[in-house]
Amino acid sequence: MTTITAGLSSGMRLRVPTLSANVLSVALRELREAVRSRWFLLYTLGFAALGLGVSYASSASAGGAGLSGFGRTTAGLVNLVLLVVPLMALTAGAGTIASDRERGMLVYLLSQPVSRLEVLLGKYVGLGAALLACICLGLGSCAGILAWKGDATRPLSMVWLAGLSFGLALGMLSVGMLASVLARKASVAVGTAIFLWLALVFVSDLALMAGTMALKLRIEELLAMALVNPLQVFKMWSLHAIDSSLDVLGPAGLYAVDEYGGRLHLIFGACLMAWVVAPLALAAAVFSRRAPV
Amino acid sequence: MFVVLTMLLALTGPASVQEGMAPPSAPALSDGPVNTGRLGAMIREAAPGAVVLVPAGVYREHLRIDKPLTLIAEPGAVIDGGGSGDIVEIAAPDVTFRGFVVCHTGIDLDRENAAIRVLAPRATIEGNTLEDILFGIDLREAPDSVVRGNRVGGKVLDIARRGDGLRLWRADRTLVEGNTVHDGRDAVLWYSTGITVRGNRSVRCRYGLHLMYSDEVTIEDNVLTENSVGIYLMYSRGVMVRRNQLVRNRGPSGYGLGLKETDRFTVEHNLIHGNRVGVYLDGSPFTDAQPGVFTRNTIALNDVGITFLPAVRGNRLSANNFIDNIEQVSIAGRGELKGNQFWDGDVGNFWTDYVGYDKDRDGVGDFVHESRTLFENLMDREPKLRLLLFSPTQQAIEFVGRAMPAIRPEPKFVDEVPLMRPVAVEVGAGGAPSAVGLGAASAGILGVGVFVLSVGLSGRLAAGLRGKSGRGGGA
Repeated sequence: MTTITAGLSSGMRLRVPTLSANVLSVALRELREAVRSRWFLLYTLGFAALGLGVSYASSASAGGAGLSGFGRTTAGLVNLVLLVVPLMALTAGAGTIASDRERGMLVYLLSQPVSRLEVLLGKYVGLGAALLACICLGLGSCAGILAWKGDATRPLSMVWLAGLSFGLALGMLSVGMLASVLARKASVAVGTAIFLWLALVFVSDLALMAGTMALKLRIEELLAMALVNPLQVFKMWSLHAIDSSLDVLGPAGLYAVDEYGGRLHLIFGACLMAWVVAPLALAAAVFSRRAPV
Repeated sequence: MFVVLTMLLALTGPASVQEGMAPPSAPALSDGPVNTGRLGAMIREAAPGAVVLVPAGVYREHLRIDKPLTLIAEPGAVIDGGGSGDIVEIAAPDVTFRGFVVCHTGIDLDRENAAIRVLAPRATIEGNTLEDILFGIDLREAPDSVVRGNRVGGKVLDIARRGDGLRLWRADRTLVEGNTVHDGRDAVLWYSTGITVRGNRSVRCRYGLHLMYSDEVTIEDNVLTENSVGIYLMYSRGVMVRRNQLVRNRGPSGYGLGLKETDRFTVEHNLIHGNRVGVYLDGSPFTDAQPGVFTRNTIALNDVGITFLPAVRGNRLSANNFIDNIEQVSIAGRGELKGNQFWDGDVGNFWTDYVGYDKDRDGVGDFVHESRTLFENLMDREPKLRLLLFSPTQQAIEFVGRAMPAIRPEPKFVDEVPLMRPVAVEVGAGGAPSAVGLGAASAGILGVGVFVLSVGLSGRLAAGLRGKSGRGGGA
């Protein structure tokens, strides 16, 4: 319990300028490794290429010049983020500690004058920064293409999309690192991450659909269950931010806006924050207790 | 709020029909004394048929104009009702009332406190500005009138406590032109045959234009934005709807254009953009007398382009642009659209989701456009599933639907001759896209990415911050 509180308080301290020097140096090392690694290059190129494809195709097809709104462009980008960003973040998180342990890197790291918590947080910050770079390069070039094509997507919606994608990435990175701390082998950790990705992207939605059709779930139940899934939270939040309403999501969206109104931003934020903090705290608790090798 | 609105909408339907069977013939009179002030004296003293020029000034009184007069306000003439009752009542035919500012009615919904109430034919209400009023211009049994160029601003009240900005009740052949109504409840045009509604604006009301039992009507060049419903036509025959802009009418009952049991109608050259539902069809056309004609409309970026209730048939849609509506066409519940035709002769519609090509380059797609997607089919049956829109599961389900013909739904509708290019529509499009803003956003987002990347590549935060100069100094 004390470890969790310690983890939380360090987490809080991260956001203030008094960053622990150890955390920072681990983070920089992790960022450098990540940025120079093959996965980063692959994911960034893949994400940017797919995003550019989506942007190019959707702005080419729009027949009505100057009509802005929640069009196919934004829908396509939200869709792409939902598919790619969680996969990226989950596997990045899962691959870090377990593989360091396998390579004997972890023993080396922990022999330095740094605490385990600092190693964990440093890795989290470093990988988070790498993901931020990846998302920004991807979505930034999408925005560039859209501007060049004269698409009517509002500028602010791209900023929202990038910010919220980063939030989603941080949550999924937390989950990935938890898997990595728990697993004994890197392959198991990455496998678990991919399984989790499948569950969050497809299985939970299919279950929700089946539940709605078969069990006749009530709207508030459906909404509550959707809020458990960070991907749905990201999706609803981006729609709410971009379109300033959730009409587009039918009765459940109307219900959400009507029931919670201005508090929706807070609710979405809290849900996403829970996915960032809880798995990371748990990972910190487990990691501080376990033998390194 | 949602409940109240729904209840209100539910009530307006049947309740008003009941009421409508016998419209009130006995006019409600203003409360309290009228014509007591300076302006009242001018009206009393004027001979019938006279032209009265009203000098600038604030007149705190309630008026009844009971003889044919032409009242023309000089700039700055204000009639202030002081927050009670009706303000101006026109009880004689052939009255012209022009250029006044009329403000501060009461807020009694039962007595329908109005800024200007007309109870006689051939009135001309022109160029007035109505502010802080419950009901704006209320024409009762006032045929052959003209309501032109007025600005009507409602009281800032909850929608359930507002009054109608504009109301016609048995006012046949009236012209409603160039008025602006904002923050009101409805613009109600009921039991009025042969009216023309042209070039009006309605913003942030409930119904932009609400027609009921009004036949042979022309509605053109109006701009109706951010209302709950743009235009709702009910139980009317012979309606022309053209060159209107119906934009961002949203909320639980957000329709751009709704047609309920309306017959013999033509909808053309309208821009229907960003509404929750672009066009809502319920029992229209009502008879087989004439197909419902939809042609040369741009229906773009609505959550649903057109919603058909299951039994709707007899519509003919051609040369429309269906642009990036999240669901282009939906059927509310189970049913089919076989009774409606999505082309006319060899002209179909332009669909942004058409996947075919045009090898012979005749402007018509070589394959039919048919809409049969499994997820939309599920959504039509269970609207709650809309919550899962845009998630990858949606794509997965569509893919499964395509891959396994056994579970592929029947086509919702077929356009046999889909157009390859959008059709020109007379009404203008929205504002120009802001490429500069988007470019700036792009640069900003990219900038963050490049910065983090450079920190990663250099391995030092300080180097990343100082960039080249730092490295130069080191060398």
